[in-house]
Amino acid sequence: MTGAVALATGSVASVAPLSPIVAQVTAIEASLLAFVVLTALATAFARDVLAAVIVFGAYSLGMAALYTFYRAPDVALTEAAISAGVTTVLLLLTLAKTTRIDHDAVFESVNLPAAGAAGFLFAGLLLTMGDIPAIGSPDAPVWSNPEVTQWYLTETYAQTHVENTVMAVLAAFRGFDTFGEAVVVFAGGIAALIVLHREVFA
Amino acid sequence: MSVVDAALVAGYTVGDFLLLAAAGFTVLAIGMLYRAVRGPTMQDRVLAVNVLGTNTVVILAILSAALSEPTFLDIALVYALLNFLMAIAISKFTVERGGVL
Repeated sequence: MTGAVALATGSVASVAPLSPIVAQVTAIEASLLAFVVLTALATAFARDVLAAVIVFGAYSLGMAALYTFYRAPDVALTEAAISAGVTTVLLLLTLAKTTRIDHDAVFESVNLPAAGAAGFLFAGLLLTMGDIPAIGSPDAPVWSNPEVTQWYLTETYAQTHVENTVMAVLAAFRGFDTFGEAVVVFAGGIAALIVLHREVFA
Repeated sequence: MSVVDAALVAGYTVGDFLLLAAAGFTVLAIGMLYRAVRGPTMQDRVLAVNVLGTNTVVILAILSAALSEPTFLDIALVYALLNFLMAIAISKFTVERGGVL
């Protein structure tokens, strides 16, 4: 909550879409974004799977720094634990269980029709960016419905006895949704156990 | 705040200079990325990512000071630990196939 508020009050100036946003990107943002895009491209194009796993670790380092700059330390911590820690180890485990072929070429050759289809999807998704409200915009759903936001902020503790509003929304107000997610994660864990020929999570 | 006030130069705060330094470290990270991508051996890549991780810890610490959010240092600590874990896991994987942790 505090992260979102700090973000909203930090840069209220950005209202108009795209071109003013590009103008006010700072040096740290530009360099971090360049780093993240380069690591993502290197991960996608790397011919060797182990090299892709290693470069993907570098990608998560850049993303965590970017999340930290945008005052979202909780997201940055999750990125650190999941992406750099768990994902790398899981991918290495998968590599250990399968085979890895040594390649001379550093980069994968690109399938042009597939790249065209992916680029088309990317352009389509990019077109929807204009409809996202700017940071700190009073038209954003959070601010334009203050009675809804205030209801959750004032009534959460009385109804659920949970002090953290985000936690209360996740675990109480939309508890069945979170329960469904937990079932999916549990099913994924069971599938991983079957693949690894284990009988317990240990 | 007197130290910060004394360091004001032409309207720029210390935080601005720290952010600029963090941007410089990120540019260095882009340079280190060359070794991680090009290799040629896996040991080169592991070392490159290890250096990148240490660099990220420095960037996170500078960001923590620049944005005056001391709690961001926790993320830097977590990353310092995970960076070590990642390097150990990949090194062990390349030396003895099948063993990760």
